[in-house]
Amino acid sequence: MTRTVLGYLFTIEWAVYVGGALFMELVWRPLQRHVPPGQTGAMCLAMGRRYRWLALACLALIAGTALAWSAVGGELAPGAGRRSTVPWSTVALGAAWVVLVGLVATMGLLVHPRSHARSHRGQDEGEVRRRRLRAIRLMDVLLRVELAVALMGALVAVWPVPSGPGKAL
Amino acid sequence: MTATWVRVLASYLHLLAVAVYVGGSVAMEFVLGPAQRFVPPAQAQVLGQRAADRFLVLVWGALALFPVSGMLLFFSLSDQHLVTRGELFSTGYGRTLVAMMALWAVLVVNGALITFVFRPRLARRATARGGGAAVAEQVESMQRAAQWVSRLTRVDLVLALVIVLFGASMAYGGGIL
Repeated sequence: MTRTVLGYLFTIEWAVYVGGALFMELVWRPLQRHVPPGQTGAMCLAMGRRYRWLALACLALIAGTALAWSAVGGELAPGAGRRSTVPWSTVALGAAWVVLVGLVATMGLLVHPRSHARSHRGQDEGEVRRRRLRAIRLMDVLLRVELAVALMGALVAVWPVPSGPGKAL
Repeated sequence: MTATWVRVLASYLHLLAVAVYVGGSVAMEFVLGPAQRFVPPAQAQVLGQRAADRFLVLVWGALALFPVSGMLLFFSLSDQHLVTRGELFSTGYGRTLVAMMALWAVLVVNGALITFVFRPRLARRATARGGGAAVAEQVESMQRAAQWVSRLTRVDLVLALVIVLFGASMAYGGGIL
């Protein structure tokens, strides 16, 4: 029963994360062409904030579930590291997770606020606008990289590992 | 070796279908929905309709992918023996599989209701023909349709979560029912 619950949670967490990234790329991005620029900015600001927390929560839960799985499977028991070898897919999934956390944190804490920066008194309005455009372009690239890494991560997550939670699917 | 690749492909397509359906619904409900408050109501309505139009294409794609990847996965795992010899209803695995397919059918029916019944009502333009009473009736019909779409979308999300639970139980514990 514990394995069923953990496998279920692992699947749902990846699904919400990957599905959210796909939604942004396949629904929201094309939709922006039909919205006036000022309103796109307001929507992007609101959606970006919510999406950041959703993505970070999913990634945190994915890590928590994987750790719980390792504890249940005995991989985290004292001395387990010496007697078992870690499969390549687990290492790859861990690496993908680290990259995704880095990307979401960079976008949420650095690039997204810059893409909505306003000019203050004494600042060159043109320069602020140029920085904003650079941040928006960077955000576009990072979102696509995030989607690609998330899709790769999902592929690794379903790789058949004798004791891995990806076996759920 | 080939069986492993087929299994990986089937699992991946199955996960992508779940991701599009569940993850997309969550993003639609909890990311796009609340953000619509930040634009004028008329613009929000147009935006919501366009988003729903695009998302429905993905939803139908996911609904079509579920049985195809599911069957591929089922045969690649060589699980046929678990549901043959009249054991479809006598084993937990068989009952869970049947329940999963029944819930998928409900999702298809709900999807059809949203796509072909309620969304066309929402997209209809209100006309002044027939006077004030007719206009009020049109508006009321559109509001009812919007409420139904909202209710069915939430029901679908819950059903999809239950389907995934059934899938996980089949993979680990031989079914939950």
